[in-house]
Amino acid sequence: MGSLYRSEEMASCQLFLQAEAAYACVSELGELGLVQFRDLNPDVNAFQRKFVNEVRRCEEMERKLRFLEKEIRKDEIPMLDTGDNPDAPAPREMIDLEATFEKLENEMKEVNANAEALKRNYLDLTELKHILRKTQTFFDEAMSDQGMTEESIVLLGEEAVKTSGQPLRLGFVAGVILRERIPPFERMLWRACRGNVFLRQTEILTPLEDPVTGDRVHKSVFIIFFQGDQLKSRVKKICEGFRATLYPCPETQAERREMSLGVTTRIEDLNTILSQTQDHRHRVLVAAAKDIKVWFIKVRKIKAVYHTLNMLNLDVTQKCLISECWCPIRDLEKIQMALRRGTERSGGSVPSILNRMETKEQPPTYNCTNKFTKVFQDIVDSYGVAGYREVNPAPFTIVSFPFLFSLMFGDAGHGTLMLLAAIAMVVFEKRILRQKSDNEIWNMFFDGRYIILLMGAFSLYAGLMYNDIFSKSINIFGSVWHPTSGEFSAEIIKTHKDLTLDPTNDTDYRGVPYPFGMDPAWQLSLNKIKWLNSFKMKISIIFGVGQMFFGVVLSLQNHRFFKDSISIFCEFLPQVIFLTCIFGYLIVLILHKWIAIDATDAGCAPSLLIGLINMFLLNYPEEPCSSRVPPGQKGLQSFLLILIILCVPWLLVLKPYILKRRYQATQQKSSSRLGTSTEDGKSAEDAIDGAIQDDSHGQYEEELNLLEIVVHQCIHTIEYCLGCISHTASYLRLWALSLAHAELSEVLWNMVFRVALKVDGYLGVISIYILFTPWACLTIAILLLMEALSAFLHTLRLHWIEFQSKFYKGDGYLFDPFSFDKIIESRADEV
Amino acid sequence: MNSLNFNIDFGYLEGLVRGFKSGIVKQADYLNLMQCETLDDLKLHLQSTDYGNFLSNEPSPLQVSIIDDKIREKLVIEFEHMRTQSVVPLSTFLDYITYGYMIDNIVLLITGTLHQHTISELIPKCHPLGSFEQMEALSIASTLLELYNAVLVDTPLAPYFIDCISEQDIDELNIEIIRNTLYRAYLEDFYKFCQTLGSTTADYMSEVLAFEADRRAITITINSFGTELTKDDRATLFPRCGKLFPEGHSALVRADDYEHVRAVAEFYSEYRILFEESGNNPTEKTLEDKFFEHEVMLMKKAFLEQFHFGIFYAYVKLKEQENRNIVWIAECVAQRHQTRIDGYIPIF
Repeated sequence: MGSLYRSEEMASCQLFLQAEAAYACVSELGELGLVQFRDLNPDVNAFQRKFVNEVRRCEEMERKLRFLEKEIRKDEIPMLDTGDNPDAPAPREMIDLEATFEKLENEMKEVNANAEALKRNYLDLTELKHILRKTQTFFDEAMSDQGMTEESIVLLGEEAVKTSGQPLRLGFVAGVILRERIPPFERMLWRACRGNVFLRQTEILTPLEDPVTGDRVHKSVFIIFFQGDQLKSRVKKICEGFRATLYPCPETQAERREMSLGVTTRIEDLNTILSQTQDHRHRVLVAAAKDIKVWFIKVRKIKAVYHTLNMLNLDVTQKCLISECWCPIRDLEKIQMALRRGTERSGGSVPSILNRMETKEQPPTYNCTNKFTKVFQDIVDSYGVAGYREVNPAPFTIVSFPFLFSLMFGDAGHGTLMLLAAIAMVVFEKRILRQKSDNEIWNMFFDGRYIILLMGAFSLYAGLMYNDIFSKSINIFGSVWHPTSGEFSAEIIKTHKDLTLDPTNDTDYRGVPYPFGMDPAWQLSLNKIKWLNSFKMKISIIFGVGQMFFGVVLSLQNHRFFKDSISIFCEFLPQVIFLTCIFGYLIVLILHKWIAIDATDAGCAPSLLIGLINMFLLNYPEEPCSSRVPPGQKGLQSFLLILIILCVPWLLVLKPYILKRRYQATQQKSSSRLGTSTEDGKSAEDAIDGAIQDDSHGQYEEELNLLEIVVHQCIHTIEYCLGCISHTASYLRLWALSLAHAELSEVLWNMVFRVALKVDGYLGVISIYILFTPWACLTIAILLLMEALSAFLHTLRLHWIEFQSKFYKGDGYLFDPFSFDKIIESRADEV
Repeated sequence: MNSLNFNIDFGYLEGLVRGFKSGIVKQADYLNLMQCETLDDLKLHLQSTDYGNFLSNEPSPLQVSIIDDKIREKLVIEFEHMRTQSVVPLSTFLDYITYGYMIDNIVLLITGTLHQHTISELIPKCHPLGSFEQMEALSIASTLLELYNAVLVDTPLAPYFIDCISEQDIDELNIEIIRNTLYRAYLEDFYKFCQTLGSTTADYMSEVLAFEADRRAITITINSFGTELTKDDRATLFPRCGKLFPEGHSALVRADDYEHVRAVAEFYSEYRILFEESGNNPTEKTLEDKFFEHEVMLMKKAFLEQFHFGIFYAYVKLKEQENRNIVWIAECVAQRHQTRIDGYIPIF
C-alpha cells in the first residue's frame, strides 16, 4: 500500500555543519522543510545562547517593520502582496537591511514629529479662530441685552463699586476645553471661587483632531468673567488643572476682528505646509509599502535560522556545529542536496556531513499528505497521532467516512446540493485560496471541501438507494407493485381508506424485486416506516460489524508488523472468534432471514433479537413454527456459546501467563549463569556483585511491569468484550439518524410546500411562489447544515470510538519540521 | 453572596483572576532573571513569561522606568477590565482597592506643589489606578479646608477627609499626618465594608486589613521617633482595626525607641517572628522586607479558598510585589550591583 498506510520511515541523524556554512545550510533546510531539529541545549537560558545577539537584532528589525506597518495602515495605503518568497538573505545582508529600516524609521519619526508640531500649531489656531468667533456672539448678546448685563454687573460687584468707587472692570479669560470635562470644570470653578465667576460656554460643532493620537475630539469654547487678580490666578490654575487651553482675546471688537483675519491667513498658510508634509509622508510610505511584505519574510527567515542555530551544539574545536535531527529516510537525498547547495553558497570548502545514528527514542510520525488526503489525516490526528509506523486509519477513513455519513444523510436531493457546493469550492479552489478569508467558519468548510465532495457524492448514491429525493421517490424502472384493476376499481379506492396489496399474489406483485434501491411504491404505503426501519437497522448492523471486523484485522497487521506473535495468538485470535461467534452469526441469521423466508411463510419468520437472547439463555421454547428451525441450529448455537465463553479467559489470562513464564525462564538462565560463575572461582566475586546488582534491578522493574500487564490486560479484555456489544448497538445510530433525516424532510415538505400545492388556479401559482422560499431556506438551514453537521459528528464518533478502538493506539507525536513556509504562514495568521 | 450563587455574578471574574494569578512570575523565572547581564536580556527573558511581548515595541536602550511603567500598565489594564465587568458589591470592593492609590496620589501632588513642581511633571508619577477627575486641579488649594471644599468634596475620599480639616497651611509634617489620617479612615471604612459582605470575604479581609493596620501602626511609631509628632497625635494616626487595638496601641503610644516597639510586638506571635528575623545588617532583611514577606504569605492564602473577593485584593497586592521585585532586579542589573540582586521577595 501507499505511504499513507504507515507513516514514513524516519532516521535520527547527526549533522556536522561547518561554522561558516551553518547559516546557509540551515536556511536551505528551512526552504526544504523536511528536517526536525532537536534542541540540544534545553538547559541553556534563552539569553545565554550563542546567536542571541542576532536574534535580538532581528527582533529590533521586526519592531521597526511593525512601526512602519502601523504607519502604512494609518494612511490606508494598500500593501502589495506579490506572493514573492525570497530566500533567507545572507548574514551580511542583514546589515544593509538594518540600515534601510533604521533610515526609514528615522525619516518616518522626523516626518511624524514635524507633522505633529504643525498639527498642534494648526489646532491652536483653529481653536483661537473658534474662540474669536464664539466670544463675538457672547459680546454681541451682552450688547444687545444691556439691561441684563448691567443688572448682573451690579449684582456681582455691588460692594466693589461702593468701596472703590471706580468704574467696575471685569477681567475675562477665554479658552477651549474637552466637552466632557465641562460639568466638573464648572463645579470646581463655582466651589473654588465661591460663585464669584461667570462662565459662558458653547460647543465647537466640528470635531478637532488631536495632534498626538490623531483621534477626533469634541471641544467647547468657554469664557470666564471675574474680578480681581487673585481670582484670575485661581481661575488660571483651575484651567491648567483641567487641561484647558487659554488664548489671549482682545477686549475691543476691532482688535478681535483684526486678529481673526490674521488667524485665518495663518491657517491657510499652515494648510499648504501641512499638505506638503502629508505628501512627503505619503511618498515615503508608498515606497515602503511596496517592499514591506518581502522585508517581513526576510527578517522572519533570518530569525528562524538563528533560532535553529541556537539549538545546535558547538563542537569542541569551535569549527563546526553539531545538530541532531529527525528526517524521513526517503528524503535523505534531497537533504544531502540542500546541504551541498548551502555549502556551495557560503563558499565553504569542507562539506557538511549527514550521519545516521541509532537511537532508542520513538521517532515522530510523518504522514505525507496532499490537499485531498490532508483533511482525512487531520480527522484521525485530532483523535490521536499514530505511533511510529503504526497502521494509519486515514486511507480507510477516506472511503468509510463518507459512506457511513451517507447512510445517515441518505437523500439524493440534499446530496446533490452538497455535491454542487463542494464542486464549486474545488473548481474555484485557487481563486478562493488567493483571497485568504479570515472568516473562521467559512475556512472550516473550505478546508473540508474534499470531504464534503465525497460526502455529497455518497449521499447522492445512498439517496438513490433509499429512493428518497427531498422526501419524494422517483419511479425510474416502474414499480413492481401493480394492483389488478378488477380488484381495486376506482370506487373501492375512493370508499376504502386502507387497502392491502398481497405479495403472495402474482397479480399484485411481479415476483422480482425492483432492480435498484427501494421500490417507489413504498413511498405511498402506510407501513413505509416499519419496513424501512427493519431494513435500515439490519443494514446498520451489517456495515457496523463489518467495520469492526475490519478494525480487528488491522490490529493483526499491526501485530505482524511489530513481530508480536503473542498478541496474535492471545489477543487477535480470541477477539476474532468472539466477534464472529456473536455478531458474525447474527449477520448470517439476517441474511438467512432475507433470503430464505418470503411472503408465503412470513408468519414463521424468526425474531432475530429474541433468537440471539435465547441463544445466550440456552432456551428453545416450543413455538408454532419451531418445526421450521433448521435441525442443527441448536447444536451450532451451543457450540458457538461455548467458544464465546472460552474466549474471555483466553483473552484475559494467557498473555500475562506467557509473559510471566518467559520472564521466569530468563531469570533461571541468569541464576544458572550465576551458579556457574561462582564455581569458576577466581574472578567470581566481581561477577557476582555485578550480576546481583543487575538482577535485583531488573527484577524490580519486571515485577512492576507484570502487575501493570495484568491490570492492563484486564481492562483490555473487559473493554473489548463489552465494547463489541455496546459498539454494535452504537452502530444503530446509522438507522436512527437516517430515520430522523427522512422524517424531518418529509415533515418540511408536507407542512410547508404541500400547502402551496393544494391551492388551485392562479392562486396556486402565487402560493407556490411565496412558499417556495421558506421551504428552500428551511431545507438548507435545517436539513443541509444542521442535519449534515449532526450526521458528521456521529460519523466522527463511529470512526474514533467504534472503529479505531479496535486497533489504534495513537500514542505518537507529529513530525514538526523546520520550515520557512510554516513559520511565515503562522505569523501571517497572527497578524 | 454565598457559595451557592456566587458564580452567577462573580464566577467569571474569579476564574479570570485565578488565571491571571497563574501568570505571576515564578521563582524559577526569577532565578533566570537574576542571571541577566543587560536589560535587553531581561526583556528577552520576560518574553517567555506571561508578560509576553509587552516590551517588544520599545526601542532598544531600555530603561528601568520604562519596564516599571509597562508592568504597571499591564496590571492597570487587567484591573480596569475586571472593574468594568463587575457588578455590586464586587465593583464597590474594587473601588475600595483604588482608594488607597488615590490617597497616595493626593499626597504626592500636594508634596509636589509644595516643592514648586508643576502639575504636568507630577501627573505621570501618579499611580493610574488612583487617578480621578479633579486630581489635576489639586494645586489651587493652599489650605486644607480649601482642598476639601474645592477639590475633594466630590471624590469618594471626602468622608475620610473630614477628620483632618483645619485652616492650617500645608507643610511637610502636615502632609504625612494627612496621609496617615486619610489612610486610617480608609482602612477602617474598608474594614467595615468587608464586614457587611460577610462570609469568607469578611473573614479573610479582616485578617488582611488587620495586618495592614498593624503594619501602619508599627511603622508610624518607628518613623515618628525624633520628629515633632507628639505622642497624643501619634495615637490618632493608628488605624483601629488591627490586632494591636486597643492594648497594643496604648503601649505603642508610650514607646520611645525601637526596643520598646519590639517589646510591644513580643506579645503578638506573628509580629514577634518578624522582629526576631529582621535586622539592620546588610546580610539581614529589614523589617520592611519582613512585612512584605508576611504580606505575600497572607495574600497567597487568599487563593486557597473559593467564593470570596479577597483574591482580587490579593492579586493586586501580589502584582505590586512582583512589580517591585522585577524593578529591583532590573535596577540591580542596570547598575551592575549583583551582590544585592537576590533582595527580592519570591511569590510562588
